[in-house]
Order: sequence, then structure tokens, then C-alpha cells
Amino acid sequence: MRTRILLPVLIAASLVTLVAGVGWGSVHVATLDIVTVFRDHLSGRQPTDPVNDAIVWGLRLPRVVLAFVVGSALSVVGVAMQALVRNPLADPYVLGLSSGSSAGAALYFLGFVPVALTGALSLPLAAFLGGLLTIVLVYAVARDESSVPVTRLLLAGVAMSALMASITSFIAFVSPDPNKLRSVLFWLLGSLSGGSWDIVVWPIVVSTVGLVVLLALSRPLDAMLLGEDPARSLGVPVERIKRGIIGLAALMTGTMVAYSGAIGFVGLIVPHATRTLVGVSHRRVVPAAFFAGGLFLVWADLLARSLIPGQDLPVGIVTALAGVPFFLVLLRRHRRPFA
Amino acid sequence: MIRHALLLLVLVSACRTETAPPGRPVQDDLGRTVAVPARITRIVSLAPSVTELIYAAGAGSKLVAVTDADNFPPEVTGLERIQALPVNREAVVVLRPQLVLASEQVNDPRDADALATLGIPTWFVVVDSLGDVTRAIRALGMLLGTEPAANRTADSLDALHAALLAAPEPPSRPGVLLLVGDRSLFSFGGQSYAHDLVRLAGGRSVTADLTTKAPVLSDEFVLDAAPDVIVGAFGTEYDPARLLENHPTWSAVPAVRNRAVHSIDPDLILRPGPRLFSGVLAIRDALRAPTPSP
Repeated sequence: MRTRILLPVLIAASLVTLVAGVGWGSVHVATLDIVTVFRDHLSGRQPTDPVNDAIVWGLRLPRVVLAFVVGSALSVVGVAMQALVRNPLADPYVLGLSSGSSAGAALYFLGFVPVALTGALSLPLAAFLGGLLTIVLVYAVARDESSVPVTRLLLAGVAMSALMASITSFIAFVSPDPNKLRSVLFWLLGSLSGGSWDIVVWPIVVSTVGLVVLLALSRPLDAMLLGEDPARSLGVPVERIKRGIIGLAALMTGTMVAYSGAIGFVGLIVPHATRTLVGVSHRRVVPAAFFAGGLFLVWADLLARSLIPGQDLPVGIVTALAGVPFFLVLLRRHRRPFA
Repeated sequence: MIRHALLLLVLVSACRTETAPPGRPVQDDLGRTVAVPARITRIVSLAPSVTELIYAAGAGSKLVAVTDADNFPPEVTGLERIQALPVNREAVVVLRPQLVLASEQVNDPRDADALATLGIPTWFVVVDSLGDVTRAIRALGMLLGTEPAANRTADSLDALHAALLAAPEPPSRPGVLLLVGDRSLFSFGGQSYAHDLVRLAGGRSVTADLTTKAPVLSDEFVLDAAPDVIVGAFGTEYDPARLLENHPTWSAVPAVRNRAVHSIDPDLILRPGPRLFSGVLAIRDALRAPTPSP
């Protein structure tokens, strides 16, 4: 598909998604009431109906924003990691980055890590460090002289993923507070139920920074797809770019996981689907995957929160149900990595 | 290999003949037929609610061990503790109980099967409603040979139940939300006995129509259901302001606006045992509490 058509399509889809995102939920709110809520806020009036206002403006809208931001961030992290290891099977969840961040967040949340800096930053910082440690280990184990063999990478990812998940579970079991044990499920399964205006700021900042950085790196990333040696001969500072991508991936995933838990497979499905639409050039893949990832997660979350009346399902269940079959098909067909 | 298997077989059958005298067959609440010895003096409880029922039936002195989660009545502090989830089978065997009492809500029948092969019978208690509480107390009295005491307790609880049922219908029943978790909103749905507690206390449970048995509510649901009173099972030390901190949008919920958020001892409503009646009274106190002035 041409980029010219794609952009208007994505913008239109975003608008439809926004409307659906605030229109549907676990309880019914009439369309007219939703319009009233928006009118009240845009004209700066007192809310006409405080309950509808709380549902639409206080709960659904920030949740849609959080879902979009988390989805877009995980999706471009997926793009970056796939370029890094030159394989479409890489994504922050499969390679253990998400579980590492979860473990970091859970360790902090349950009081096993001292409060660093200010309280507000400690949680994402702990998640970032957990993710960074995991991905560096996975990469170091999987790496050869000049390449990253897929089998070793996936196996290292699976192993570290399992280790980090068991650390998270272990903490939950030794923690004396039963309520905390339940909230650890949040880190393991991933949920956007914590979405509120107070917490969306950091995810918005980090995902925007990530988008800008990756756009700026789109040429070197294209060159990396050819292989590290060809990229080097084109004057790309390969080692620095690789370190930068790993750091950025850990920062973005860590921040998102801190507020939404480990939501899997977004970074796998979306980049792949995007490439089939716009080709492999990162100048197009990065922005397209950013929007598509955001939209995908908003819809997945819509499904998660309207499937059972009155209840929230963790969105990670929905993305895994959609993502795992996709992953298996990809694994089976994996002969032409970036065709 | 074969020799080991034979040895094991001999050992198992040896255990069997030693500790399982031919008992009278009795049906437990799950419909399982259990061979129970005639005179029981050593029992083990595998659930806190069952322990409370046993004490209510006047058979507390026969208990040799309870679970590591037990804390009521105070007499349990002197008893042996066993891990209940999952059941530490070895610890049960070492105690040589004549009968193990388990709860359908907590325990796994597979543990009972495993104990049965070692000659230890397990009797399951099912309490799904307030009526089941007194029925279970009487049944335990019969089973454990403490009928007079069990019937006395059951009679007085039945009288309390009848008195609560006979209370005049209040002019309007406030909508009550029972919460088990203050972050993840675990609550009671479906056919839970919890709705009966609320009704007897004079309220109307807002989660009674949900189909799931143990729902995790969304914030939206609570805003939409607009409960007049929230009763949390967060313990008596809980600061109600924390609920609004965890769910900022709830300032629009009547219960939060009117400061009608109360927290009670979770064991009173989470353990399907005799203290459910205390749970009714605790919820009633919460409903009758004067609204604090802002």
C-alpha cells in the first residue's frame, strides 16, 4: 500500500478507535451522554452527570490513551529488536525483556528494592533495570562472533523469560500481604486497568521519544538488515547503534511494563503485519507500526473489558490468544525473514 | 524394581490393617461414603472454616492439628499446624488422625484419595448458605459424638437467623457493595451466600446478578451500580480513604461521597462457618453507622 493512502487511513482508523474506545465498556453509557461529557469538558463546564463523566472522562479516555501509547511503544520496540537480530521472531515479550521488567517492577512494588530518586520514578526505573539486565544477558548468551543465531536467541529468551516470571511468582508467594499476591498477577498477565490521567504522562513522553529516535535511526536500521559487516562498510557505527537500541528497548519496555504489566506479542504481530503493507524500509515501518500497534492494543483492550459484563480481563490474555497462533505460523513459515 | 514395588505394597497394606478398623459407613456432604470409626478422639482440620464449625459443634478438644491459616477460636494457638495449600500429606499421616475434616471450598478431593490409601478417612463439609452452617454443626455433632453441645449451638444460631429474618422490612434497602480486594476488585457474584448476609443486614447486594462466582469488578461497574454503602473485607484497621486513592474516579460513587465506606474483619464473611452470623451483624452495624460529617 502507498504511504500516501496509508496515512489518512491510519488517522481515520485512530478516530474510529477512539470513539469505540470510549463508547464501549463493561457497562452501557448512551452515545448522547458520551457526547455531553465531551461537550462539558471542551467548553469547561461542570459535568452534567458526574457518574457518566467519571466513566467516560475519568476511566475510559485515559485507558484508551494508555492502551494506544503502550501498544505503539511495544510495537516499535518490536521493529527495532527485529532489525537488531535480523529476525522477525524477535519481540520484547519473546526475548524476556517484558518478564525482566515485570520482575523489576514486582520487586519494587512489593518492597524488595529501596526507593530511588522520587517515588514516582522508582517503579519505571526498577522495571527498566530489570528489563535491561535480562535483555543484555539474553543477547550476550545468544551472540556469536558476528551474528545472532535464532535458535540460541529464542532459547535464551525463553529461559530468561521463565526465570524472571518465576522470580515474580516467588516474590508474590513470600510476600505476606494476600492483596499484594493478587496484584502480582497484574505484572504477569498485563492489564490496562490502572489507566488514569495521573500515570499516562510518562508513557506518552517515552513512546514519543522512542518514535523520534527510531525515525532518526531509520537509515542505519535499514543498513543493519543487510548484515553487520555490510552495514559497517556503509559507514554505520554498528556497535553504538546496537547498544543504543538495546538501551532504548529496555527503557521503552520498562516504562510500559511499569504501568501495564507484561503484555505479550504486540511487538511481534504488528511489525510483521505492517511490513506486509508498507515494505521493509524503516522510514515507513516505524511510523506505521507505531500507529498500528496503538490501534491494535486499544481494540484488544476493548475486547478484554467488554467480554464479561461488569468485569475486566487482563488484556495480556487477549493478546496472547491472538499472538501465539500467529507466532507459531511465523515460526513454521520462517524461511524468508524480511521478504 | 519389582522388589521395591513389592516392599511398598507390603508397607502400604501394613499401614492399612494397622490404622483402619472397620468403621461405620457415613455419607459426607459431597455424597462420598466414608468409613468412620465409632469413637473418634483424634481429628485434623484442613480448613479454618471447618475448624470453627468443629469448635461450634463442641468437638474442639478432639482436634490434634489445624492449618497454618487458622486463628479462631483462640484455643487453636496451642495446636499443631499443617500446611493446607497444598496439603502436606506427610504431616497429616505423622499425626495419625482417625478422621480428617475438609472443606469443599478449599480442599482437593485428590488429597482425600491419597490419604484414604494410607488408611485415613476424610469427611468433606459443604457450606453454601447460612442454613448450611447449622446443618453442618449438627452433622458434625453426630459424627464426632458431641450431639448435645452441637444441637445447643445450632439451636441458638437458628434462633438468631430466625430473628434476623423476622426483622421488619426496612423502608428502603441501601445498595451495598461487598469487596474482598481494595486494588483488584474481587467481590461476590452468582449464587454466593454473601448476598444473604447483606439482605439479612438490611441491604441489597449490588453484585447479586453477576453470573461469575468470584468476579473481579471494573471501576465502571462500581460507578454504574452506585452503591450507597461499601463494605470491604480489609480488616478493622483499614483506612477508608485508601479506597479513593486506589480508585480516584469513585468520588462520584454515593458510598464514597457520603463517607459510607466501612471495613470489617475479612474472616467474618470469607469463612463459611458459624461466624457468618457475626458477619451479618458487622454489615448491619456498617449500614446503621451514622454518616460522619465532612
